[in-house]
Amino acid sequence: MSNAVHISPKGSHIMRIWVIAAHTFTQLVRMKVFYFLAVFAVIAIASNFFDLPQHEGPEAVGANVLRSIKSWSLGAMTLFSVVLSVVATALLLPKDAEDRTLYTILAKPVPRFDYLAGKLLGVLLLVFVSLALMDGLMTAVLHVRTNMVVAQQVEMATAMGWPADAVASLRAETLASGPNASLQGAVFAVFLRASIMASLALLISTFSSSTLFTTIVSFLIYFIGHFQADARNIYLQAGEAGEGLFARIASLVLSMVMPDFQLFNVIDAVIEGQALPMLSLAKLTLVGMYYAVFFTFASWFIFADKEF
Amino acid sequence: MKGWFKILLLALALLVFGAMRLPYEAALSKSLRDAGLFPTDLGIGTRDKIGQTSSAVALGGLRTLVATFLNLRAFTYFTEQRWNDVEETYNTIVDLAPRTRYYWDTGSWHMAYNAASYYINDSKLPPLRRREAWRMSIHKGRAFLERGIRNNPDDWSLLASLGFLLSDSNKYPAFRDANASFAAAAEAYQKSADTGKAPGYVQRSAFYALARVEGREAEALALARKLYGEGPINRTPTMKALLFVLEAWENPKMDLKTRAIEIYGSPENAYEALSVHWSRVRDGFPVHGVSAVIPLLEEQLSIPKDKSVLNKPLPPPAGPDEWFR
Repeated sequence: MSNAVHISPKGSHIMRIWVIAAHTFTQLVRMKVFYFLAVFAVIAIASNFFDLPQHEGPEAVGANVLRSIKSWSLGAMTLFSVVLSVVATALLLPKDAEDRTLYTILAKPVPRFDYLAGKLLGVLLLVFVSLALMDGLMTAVLHVRTNMVVAQQVEMATAMGWPADAVASLRAETLASGPNASLQGAVFAVFLRASIMASLALLISTFSSSTLFTTIVSFLIYFIGHFQADARNIYLQAGEAGEGLFARIASLVLSMVMPDFQLFNVIDAVIEGQALPMLSLAKLTLVGMYYAVFFTFASWFIFADKEF
Repeated sequence: MKGWFKILLLALALLVFGAMRLPYEAALSKSLRDAGLFPTDLGIGTRDKIGQTSSAVALGGLRTLVATFLNLRAFTYFTEQRWNDVEETYNTIVDLAPRTRYYWDTGSWHMAYNAASYYINDSKLPPLRRREAWRMSIHKGRAFLERGIRNNPDDWSLLASLGFLLSDSNKYPAFRDANASFAAAAEAYQKSADTGKAPGYVQRSAFYALARVEGREAEALALARKLYGEGPINRTPTMKALLFVLEAWENPKMDLKTRAIEIYGSPENAYEALSVHWSRVRDGFPVHGVSAVIPLLEEQLSIPKDKSVLNKPLPPPAGPDEWFR
């Protein structure tokens, strides 16, 4: 099969970006990345079997297994999406250079920004499709299991002589632990975090000399990003705890340079049964877009006059 | 443009961009924390306990996943009866997932019920040490539940579990003052009922605990009348017996037999139910008027004196004094 990319120099930016994105998506799919879905399916199904003994009344029957499904599934989604976005992005530029595709594209009157944006969009499309598939599987498993748990709980509550209103309340409470809008919001938060990682990896890959370097540095930043909020708090509350000038400057620089990934830990709260308000999700989306746009422009800034 | 100059510009842009987003992120972080969407910071102690790999995973935004794995590990410790490890693991689990009711409830159950029962039968320890280990396990279970309630004040289930623990006939002897234990149980059950999410039995349980508190009989009677008046759903055998007993406490001169038959519908039902109530010595329920009404009912039902429930031996005592001889 040919890997040639047909990009019309006369088309609009959006069209060019879309063509490169579609090609990148196809290129990545051919790397058989979707095989991991089989692993995810095993995880989603296996999480059903960790229904540990419980000692309470009907309200506790199966409650643990529903949380287990969400916890395992969202955990796997986070890992898969972050690894996928970093590794796929880190591979792109070196692979295009190795295959000589990069020279073919850049020899045409294709703006380098379009090339980078298309590559990033292709990765994001892959991450989005992967997450959508995993989300569909998780929702299906959770839906089936929630109905089973509700049936068990209602049977037990009825046998214990619970009145109809109490049974209805129990049913509503358990159904709320099943698939819901907050859970979909959490999956979207996973996507936002992966998007930031992909755009960050793109930036690093524009000046890095190897895929390995990009991958390692990206993961380092990913973990450091989870401490960014701590650094910010040290800076904002400086003086109260008597920190020195150096500590203040260091915490300020760290919090200005590193992305704050802790913001996306709302996923944990959703798994624990908290509702994720639309407004909070919208604010998180703004944060995600802010980073993605900045890192993409920064990548272009470095890549614009890079010699190959 | 020279390479170093570009890098310098990029670094500057990074700082400017960072300075611009800093206040927004700080405000968003605060609003998410206020909305209960952020867990508390992971303490250094917890990071040490879960190890470097799990710490990295937990800090990478997968705290609940680490908690799920630790819960499986705690179950293994439970099957191996390693109670200190069970306790330590649950303390770590709730640091990771403080809003999950299940972990608080299960951790407390392992300490106050499973570990405590284990020490009753642990032949490796002398009785005095077994008794102390039993008592400590129940206290730990209570403290763990109370910590769970402080973290989840609106959760009816944790409050109901605390009420159950404090009024359980196998557990309340672990506390120095049974009266204070019943009062605390009544308070926990009442708070659970007041959340508006608890099933009806929780309100009845609040009353059962209150009825056992010496000195608060009038309050208990008022609650009994209210619940009894709410309809058949609340008219359980225990409720009927306690209503009778508390009315007899309020007015010892009332016509006990007539009132008992009125409550139970027939002398046979009244005799059977009050005989059962008389035998429930381990529950610590009050028995005002029961020993007076039983002979009257026996007379009406022509039950010979030698077959009277009052002449039958009561169930033998079964508490720490017997378990740890």
